[in-house]
Amino acid sequence: MMNSGQNLDLTNYKNQVLLIDFWATWCPPCKQSMPFLNALRNEFLDKGFEIIAINVDEDSQDAQSFLEKYPVDYQVAYDERGDCPAKYDVKAMPSSYFIDRQGKLRYVHLGFRHADETEIRTRVLELLQESR
Amino acid sequence: MFWNIQYSRASLVLLIVFSVLMLEGCSVAPWERGNLAKKQMLIVPNPNRTALRQHVFDSKESSQGGMGSAGGGCGCN
Repeated sequence: MMNSGQNLDLTNYKNQVLLIDFWATWCPPCKQSMPFLNALRNEFLDKGFEIIAINVDEDSQDAQSFLEKYPVDYQVAYDERGDCPAKYDVKAMPSSYFIDRQGKLRYVHLGFRHADETEIRTRVLELLQESR
Repeated sequence: MFWNIQYSRASLVLLIVFSVLMLEGCSVAPWERGNLAKKQMLIVPNPNRTALRQHVFDSKESSQGGMGSAGGGCGCN
């Protein structure tokens, strides 16, 4: 994880709806999506929604500097070895992976435009409404 | 002699085909485009300045086209 140096363990998020977001500072749509994702996360946090952002910058300092200027409330992890996006088969930047309470990947959203906000919100709500 | 020329031509063709096929291995993954996204990697680093210069050039040369810009000829637009 950024700052703490700990490894990300997805088992800590059991029974939660998870959005895993791949982003980088060189990707303008990624940066545009962050205020929206942060607000969405804070709105549904008490209903069991969490976001984990995985930064894929070559230099983690770029992400650190960006996050100091524009902080977010959710956890940001840094992919040190750079093999995480390949494992998730990331097709575009940003890419958001929606994982349900059972830990199953349910939907992948590629890219980000402000017009996508309604769809992302609807997907999250649908997953939150499913039984635990 | 004839055989040697034919042989060298075939080798050349094979080399070209192989080189073209190898170009397909140059793909860049979406998450590896940090350096490509830098400003200095743009083909047109300053689009506004380029558009202005192209507009002036079109007007002065009484010509236009190929760049998608409007105007030209009288130098008044």
